[in-house]
Amino acid sequence: MKKSIGFLFAGVAGGIASGLFGIGGGIVLIPIFGLLLAFEQHKAQGTSLVALIPPTGLLAVLAYAKAGYVHWLTGVLLIPGLFLGGILGAKIARRIEPLRMRQVFAALLFLLGAWQAFGTWRR
Amino acid sequence: MHIVVVLIGLCAGILVGLLGIGGGVVLVPALVHLLHMDQHLAQGTSLFVLLPPIGLGALLEYRKKGVVDFHAGIYCAVGMLLGGYLGGRIAVPMSSRLLTQFFGGFLMLSALLLWGKASKQSPPQPTASSQGGA
Repeated sequence: MKKSIGFLFAGVAGGIASGLFGIGGGIVLIPIFGLLLAFEQHKAQGTSLVALIPPTGLLAVLAYAKAGYVHWLTGVLLIPGLFLGGILGAKIARRIEPLRMRQVFAALLFLLGAWQAFGTWRR
Repeated sequence: MHIVVVLIGLCAGILVGLLGIGGGVVLVPALVHLLHMDQHLAQGTSLFVLLPPIGLGALLEYRKKGVVDFHAGIYCAVGMLLGGYLGGRIAVPMSSRLLTQFFGGFLMLSALLLWGKASKQSPPQPTASSQGGA
């Protein structure tokens, strides 16, 4: 029971990041699962995917849509690639050992963060 | 132009499966820098893309390996629905530029925390012990 409450709070934290940054929330859930709840990296990633299956961002989308911040056509075009790419990526992940997996995750996250933060300085 | 968008989706999808994330962390920078969207528009569009179960195929792959905790995942999903609404309410009134930098800083910070943890736990794993710290 105590553990379930922990999962619920992990979800709220992931959800706030999701709505705030327009992301799925996995990048918050995975560190929480891995570092606080001691899940092994692959299990943290697999479990994060479960949390992302229901349309958890629905209320957040409505908040953005009300302000006119949704580009619907681009969104629709992105969906098929994401689905197929997801299967491919998961097949690759199965071949990586757990510790290396966490390092791959951290390194990619850092690069994406740097791209996002420093990209604005050029404009 | 449409082909570029589909390809962006495919690249982001590979990371969805590889990292077990929603894909927004890839989509948002790609929409901002490659398609020149404003930060808010990119984030709203990304959230819309994440509504259908795009990670389902990836999830089935993880399930084959038995590395999924459904109980934890379902509880998280309930919390996320509520948190997502709160986050959206905070982000919409913020300035686009501030939001962009906030997002980038947030990603880099989480990356450093994770990397530090991954390296600390490395001694029992001989294959990864050659990796440096953060």
